[in-house]
Amino acid sequence: MDWECCWSRDQIEPENCPYIGEGEEDLLVSQRRRIVEKCVECPRFKNDLARMKGSGYPLSDVLPYILTEFQEQKAQMGAMLSFLNSKTREIKFLREVGLVLQTSLDLDEVLSIAMTAITAGKGFGMNRAFLLMTDKDRRHIRGYLGVGPKDYEEAWRTWEDIGRSNFTLRQLARDFQKTKLTSEKVKFHDILNQLTVPLSDQGHIFNRALTGKKPILVENALNNPDLDRGLARILGVDTFLVMPLISRNRRIGVIIADNCITHKPITLQDMQSLETFAFPVAFALERASLYERLQEEVAKQKAANVKLREQQELIVKMEKMALVGKITSSIAHSIRNPLMVIGGFARTLLKGTPDGDEKRGYLESIVRETRQLEDVLSEVLDYSKSLFPVTDFWDLNELVGKATGELEGPLEQAGVHCRLELAAELPMVRIDYKQISYCLKTITTTALSAMEPGGELRIESVLDGDGVLLRISDDGKPLTQTAQEALIAPFFQTQELGEGVGLSLCKSILERQGNSLTIISRPGGGNTYSIRLLTRKENI
Amino acid sequence: MAKLLVVDDEANIRLLYSQELSDEGYQVVTAGSALEAVEKLEAESFDLAVIDIKLKNESGIELLQRIVKERHTIPVILCTAFSCYKDDFSAWLADGYVVKSSDMQELKDEIARVLAKRQRGAFV
Repeated sequence: MDWECCWSRDQIEPENCPYIGEGEEDLLVSQRRRIVEKCVECPRFKNDLARMKGSGYPLSDVLPYILTEFQEQKAQMGAMLSFLNSKTREIKFLREVGLVLQTSLDLDEVLSIAMTAITAGKGFGMNRAFLLMTDKDRRHIRGYLGVGPKDYEEAWRTWEDIGRSNFTLRQLARDFQKTKLTSEKVKFHDILNQLTVPLSDQGHIFNRALTGKKPILVENALNNPDLDRGLARILGVDTFLVMPLISRNRRIGVIIADNCITHKPITLQDMQSLETFAFPVAFALERASLYERLQEEVAKQKAANVKLREQQELIVKMEKMALVGKITSSIAHSIRNPLMVIGGFARTLLKGTPDGDEKRGYLESIVRETRQLEDVLSEVLDYSKSLFPVTDFWDLNELVGKATGELEGPLEQAGVHCRLELAAELPMVRIDYKQISYCLKTITTTALSAMEPGGELRIESVLDGDGVLLRISDDGKPLTQTAQEALIAPFFQTQELGEGVGLSLCKSILERQGNSLTIISRPGGGNTYSIRLLTRKENI
Repeated sequence: MAKLLVVDDEANIRLLYSQELSDEGYQVVTAGSALEAVEKLEAESFDLAVIDIKLKNESGIELLQRIVKERHTIPVILCTAFSCYKDDFSAWLADGYVVKSSDMQELKDEIARVLAKRQRGAFV
């Protein structure tokens, strides 16, 4: 029988089969491969099979079944191969991205690689992506960065540029970081500003994705009453993907991705791939943010150390000056007293010497010269006094630490435990260090006298508007109204406050410097002494 | 005639104070130490005390605090060789403060001011 198709021949010529193309010439000489690759799809072969059936060939009934099965298997193989190719590409891509994400501590670099991976054709190929991050106080999620074209024109221009370049994903990300990171933030500024959502709004789609730890694909958002239409309007699309970023159960942020230009549907496979990618991104973002914060803290710590060193130097200087002051005062005392006696008696004698007496001239000289020496002495003393920095900006916590250190003995003797609760990052207070230190020590000693062994004394520092509050609380017997009034009336004495005028003096000192001292006694037990110190220069 | 107690550890200064203040019409009693001053304060009554801040091995400020504590109601003027004490909060308990000088006019004015203030207070 003459067959239409060439399947029965060992070798054929190119004109015998129109389906063998350029580069496939080897099929002309291999009958087996030609049948498997070309004949099974060839309409002439199908015609030959029909003719076989009509001519009563014994296998002609079975052959179509085998052929159909073969074709189905081949199609499945093709699909699997394509799936494997796509997965291989994905793994290669994730590896490339993962390498950067694992090693980078630079937040901008992490952002650039993440956002480039989502939007580049070599990556996930989404048209546009927005990154939202949880803010430092963990109350809101805020728009941080947007990447992608704003309109068709920009899209084609960008894609053409990328198509021409032969950059790897890493190179693309670097290029993005260098040239576009800042401008993209500005470009999507209006959209990013509208994406702030409180983390407490549990119904919001961002929080739903974060709580469920799963991506949410939003479709037909403008016509679906269950979905957030406002968000779709802000984004200008009704189909988008919300991908949560979670690292070790911490909510890092959310990525919104869409195809605003091509309107290509977002497939299940897109979602799964992005989900795999979201984990290392969240981890890298968290690590980079923590590193950035760590750097900030280190810088702050360094500044605080510098300030501390300066203050320590100042204290040493003050101590030295105090010594100078002591020496000067001692000299002044030993000089001023004889001067006073000489000059004083000269004046007395002068009063009793009549006018015209020649002794008057001598006495007047003594008075004049003594006066001059006294003036010189005053000048020297005023100068040594000016060497003392009286009021300056001080770290209150440092003062509290030093003063309580000096009170260790009395605390131990009273059997009282001292607990310090000092707020971090307090502004400097403008005070006379020596005087405030005296006040703190006096108040602490007064508080100790009202306490039983085993009690606890709490010293706290807190920010209070434009000032800083220093609170000393005991758990001793509450002071009576009379005892509290002793604070207001100077030199007023009570049994409870004991001897001395310590507290009223403290009040005078503090008020003289524009600060205040109040005392509150709790009927249940305990007293709280509050000192409010000003931080602003103009208030002193 | 107002009666003053002058406390200074130097005999020449006590003598000078006595002469100058007596000339002003005051009755002057002197003490050379804090202990002597306390004894005299307990034995007699005074209208005003003039105390040197730096007494030999003693502090005039402690004497001042003792006077305040023991309810001696007499006003006190502190005298010192140098002016830094004006800013020392522990000296604020005094009614007056004078830097020692061979020209005693400032001390005399201060005594007159404090006594006048006290007298006004007595009538109120």
